Amino acid sequence: MRAVLVDDELANLENLQVLLAKNCPEVKVVAIASNIDDAFEKVNLHRPDLLFLDIQMGKTTGFDLLNKLSKKSFEVIFVTAYDNYGIQAVKFAALDYLLKPVDPDELITAVSKAEERIKGKINGEQLNFLLNQIKQTEPSIPKIALPQQHEIRYVSVDDIVRCMADNTYTFFYLSSGEKILISKPLKEYSDLLKPQGFVRAHQSHLVNPKFVKSWLKEDGGMLLMNNGDKIPVSKPNREMVKLVLGK
Amino acid sequence: MKKIIFIFLNLVIAISTVTAQKGIDFNKIYPSGGKLLMCVDSSAKNVYYSNVFPNQPNTSFSYLPEVNNISFQINFRKNINIEHYRYTILVDDKSIVVNKSINKAQLKDTHAGGDDEVFRSTTLGIFPIKGKIITILVYSIQTPLDIYKSVFYGKSIPKAKIKAIGKRSTIEKGVDYSYIIDPKEKIKLNLTKKDDELTIVKDRTDIDYIYYTSIKDKQTNKIISESTSWQYGSHIDETHQFSPYLKFDKSIFKKSGDYEVIIQPSAFGRYKMLPNEMEKYTARYTLSITLDEVRFTNRQMLIFGIITALLLGAIFGAAVTYIKRKASKKLAQQSKQKEIAQLQLNSVRSQLNPHFLFNALAGIQNLMNKNEIDNANRYLSKFARLTRNVLDSKELISLTKEKTLLDDYLQMEQLRFGFQYNLSASSDLDTENIEIPSMLLQPFVENAVKHGIAEKGKDGKITVSFEKQTSNLILSIQDNGKGFDTTQTYNGLGLALSKNRISLLNTIYKNTPFVLDIQSNTNGTAVTITLTEWL
Repeated sequence: MRAVLVDDELANLENLQVLLAKNCPEVKVVAIASNIDDAFEKVNLHRPDLLFLDIQMGKTTGFDLLNKLSKKSFEVIFVTAYDNYGIQAVKFAALDYLLKPVDPDELITAVSKAEERIKGKINGEQLNFLLNQIKQTEPSIPKIALPQQHEIRYVSVDDIVRCMADNTYTFFYLSSGEKILISKPLKEYSDLLKPQGFVRAHQSHLVNPKFVKSWLKEDGGMLLMNNGDKIPVSKPNREMVKLVLGK
Repeated sequence: MKKIIFIFLNLVIAISTVTAQKGIDFNKIYPSGGKLLMCVDSSAKNVYYSNVFPNQPNTSFSYLPEVNNISFQINFRKNINIEHYRYTILVDDKSIVVNKSINKAQLKDTHAGGDDEVFRSTTLGIFPIKGKIITILVYSIQTPLDIYKSVFYGKSIPKAKIKAIGKRSTIEKGVDYSYIIDPKEKIKLNLTKKDDELTIVKDRTDIDYIYYTSIKDKQTNKIISESTSWQYGSHIDETHQFSPYLKFDKSIFKKSGDYEVIIQPSAFGRYKMLPNEMEKYTARYTLSITLDEVRFTNRQMLIFGIITALLLGAIFGAAVTYIKRKASKKLAQQSKQKEIAQLQLNSVRSQLNPHFLFNALAGIQNLMNKNEIDNANRYLSKFARLTRNVLDSKELISLTKEKTLLDDYLQMEQLRFGFQYNLSASSDLDTENIEIPSMLLQPFVENAVKHGIAEKGKDGKITVSFEKQTSNLILSIQDNGKGFDTTQTYNGLGLALSKNRISLLNTIYKNTPFVLDIQSNTNGTAVTITLTEWL
């Protein structure tokens, strides 16, 4: 795989080069760039398979580069120092990211996932989806990308009735009645969707309050959903659930 | 002598007194016809008269309580056929003259009422009237049914007397009446739901028509009903004559209480009969009404309704405000408490940082100095992960993540001290999805490392386990170090901070308390944190 690395700090570029050389010999770094103009040229020139992209670069962002590039025939692994605003959007788009300092093990995992995607050619819309989400200046109901084996579903947060954990997998129950299995733990979606108003009723259940019909007192507390589903509320979460529903 | 003119509407005759042209001048124009004049002796102080009675047309009534003699004169308009007229005079019940024609020879021209019109006039005679009733009837043979009646009352007007008072009740087969006969001046009457009508029966007189009846609410002193509509038919007195009676609807009585029934001569009021004079002829009865249902006027109902609504509204509003205020106060208090607890938690968390952050950095420094680049890299990322976890304001962390972080930490410390460790979670725990407050165990693990097994090197052992016990989650950390006095406060241990943190967590998770248990002796230390009913 031919890769271009983009980061505004030279030390980070060097670190990543060394780590890739050591841990991921299948990745060949064809170019490095420390600003988006430089990166724009080099990406257009080299047409890489893989782009390691820093999110925050001075006053510009990695997203600006992506916006400039008309053809995005590459996989992107974002690299960022801290969970800032950009990473949230990346998570909503179900794209891959690494945190600095880069952990060799995480790097290996990210590269192999990228390789799979390149082979399977399931990429496509995710980057455009991400850029669209970022472009929206007005607060709107966000969509979330749910990567399945052969496709990526883009679902409005408002259409998610609830999520149920199945070990490291998560079932999504949509308002259409559909049930989707996603290979990520519930915790990840819990972190993403709690700021959207979702409430963790139980260790295995994340619920969209918009679809809660009523609070049932049976079995120490249950949520009756509009579709008739009953969701248990565990004791530690009871106060918090009441608070969220009380609003 | 006084001269008074009686008005006969549409009458074409006039009767006039013989003498006495002085007196009261009634310059009234009548549609047609003429006048009957009476002349009374000048000693008379008061003359009361009236000629309008409900249901009693063509009648005039004069009350002459102080008059001794009266003379009558009849006047005709000039275009009238006087020969068609007949007159009758009655003294009391006795007829003096019956259907007599006017004596044309006696007719003279006169200014009957003192006005400009000239009438043909003659006298009907002079009569003593003291203690008598003189009635003059006049009619034209062309309209024999239109008899004009003038009553001159020389007796004292009798005070009316209620012969009976009764009520009508609805019964299965129609209605039933019940009466109080010859009631006293105080009458008690109980009106039930079935009663609908009140009847007052008066004693019969020849002049019933002059009496009107009013009912007054004694409490408000307001007349609630009046009637002049005497009816005849149902009630017959001892002389086998019909007694007049009045009917009142029950609905006039809105509430229980005392009412007054007043029966007095009508219309004289207009001619200034003085109140004390009038009182002589006025009958008064007190009627104590008991209603088994309270009736209200629309206005009262409206006012009552508004007051009730306002009162209810006010009470409801007050209650709602009170409850809301109490609830919001409680909520505010709760959320404030939680906020404070959260803030304290955050500060406690940040106080934990230096302990392991700098130790970890020292560990990485050690690797660098030993030139172990690969290890340094791995430990650096572990350090980054731990630091990130501390910096993240995430309140809860999954058991899996907690385990990873503890693993990261222990690996780093293992690098420094060379001890053994074991991290385990029982298989019946859904570690991926069970969450606990982040950084809950780290200080105890750190404590175990630094003060437990640091000196023991490779013989040191730390065991961290997550277990399920019914619905409780048991988190335990054991080491085989030298132990410490649990009653002592070790400022450097982070133990005090952790204790503080747990008590803060207990203010947030009131229903699922965290129980901390520390057992320490020279063989080691066992720390157990029980999250009650957490699962």
